[in-house]
Amino acid sequence: MRLEKCWFCSSTIYPGHGIQFVRNDAKIFRFCRSKCHKNFKMKRNPRKVKWTKAYRRLHGKDMTQDSTFEFERKRNRPQRYDRINTEKVLQAIPKISKVKATREKAHITKRLSVGKINRKKGDRRELEQSISLVKAPSVLKEDATLTLPKQKVTVSYAQTENTPMEE
Amino acid sequence: MAARFLSKSSSGSSLLGALGTSLVGVGSVARQTTSKLTYSDIFFQQQRTFVQMGTKLKVVDNSGAKRVMCIQALKSKKGAKLGDIIIGSVKEAQPRGKVKKGDVVYGVVVRAAMQRGRCDGSHVRFDDNAVVLVNKQGEPIGTRVFGPVPHELRKKKHVKILALAEHIA
Repeated sequence: MRLEKCWFCSSTIYPGHGIQFVRNDAKIFRFCRSKCHKNFKMKRNPRKVKWTKAYRRLHGKDMTQDSTFEFERKRNRPQRYDRINTEKVLQAIPKISKVKATREKAHITKRLSVGKINRKKGDRRELEQSISLVKAPSVLKEDATLTLPKQKVTVSYAQTENTPMEE
Repeated sequence: MAARFLSKSSSGSSLLGALGTSLVGVGSVARQTTSKLTYSDIFFQQQRTFVQMGTKLKVVDNSGAKRVMCIQALKSKKGAKLGDIIIGSVKEAQPRGKVKKGDVVYGVVVRAAMQRGRCDGSHVRFDDNAVVLVNKQGEPIGTRVFGPVPHELRKKKHVKILALAEHIA
């Protein structure tokens, strides 16, 4: 029994699932479900279809290089059955997959954290600039607790020199 | 039942007058690369069926024939699948070969566009319908076989064809 990878979406194909298509040049395409099979028949490039692993890896959405991928490389050399080896492998597999999952999650949170910071900055700017839509400026002047504390932003002198003079 | 199979015939094969009606096969339309499943996409998602009377098959050995039309699928009322034997009439042949045009020959289906279930639960399907000509005993007439062949042939005891094959799928 061998767990294959779907040619289109790169998910694992468990036994009893999917269709294998053999082209006349003897290249075998395996699909996990009819969705992938139909997309293949429509001649779609998996690198352009957003939900496939190929697209995600190509566009840096998912982790591409990691040492945990080395464990899953396909090795065509048949191994002689060694009981101790097999036991060790069976114990190692859940550990490796756990490490891989945490690393993938970390990659995604790292990628999304930039957007989080930018969103917060945008919110702060909106609050400072458009608060008059919500509360009248006279009310804000009376009560000091309603305004955000002023942030000190350092500006380098080189920048101010380069700005052109306003006519 | 015959009418149902008429409607499901694959494009390119025209079922003959013996069955009465003639059907225009739903041909494959130029494929689009839009992301939405349009009306024309549904047309080239073909429903593949058995190799039956009238099906034209490609001959993939060097026996001399090029195309063979199935006139009878042995062992099944519905039609032949991957690995079954059919009786065919040679429609197109090479000028100097072991078989001539008009010969009635036996053949083993080595590639079928209709998927066949394997014992591990998976399904296999090939790109076209292809046949290897054999004699009544099941031995191939030709000496070479081109293209991939399935290992379903081993179960059907067509060992010689597997031996000649260049790739076993």
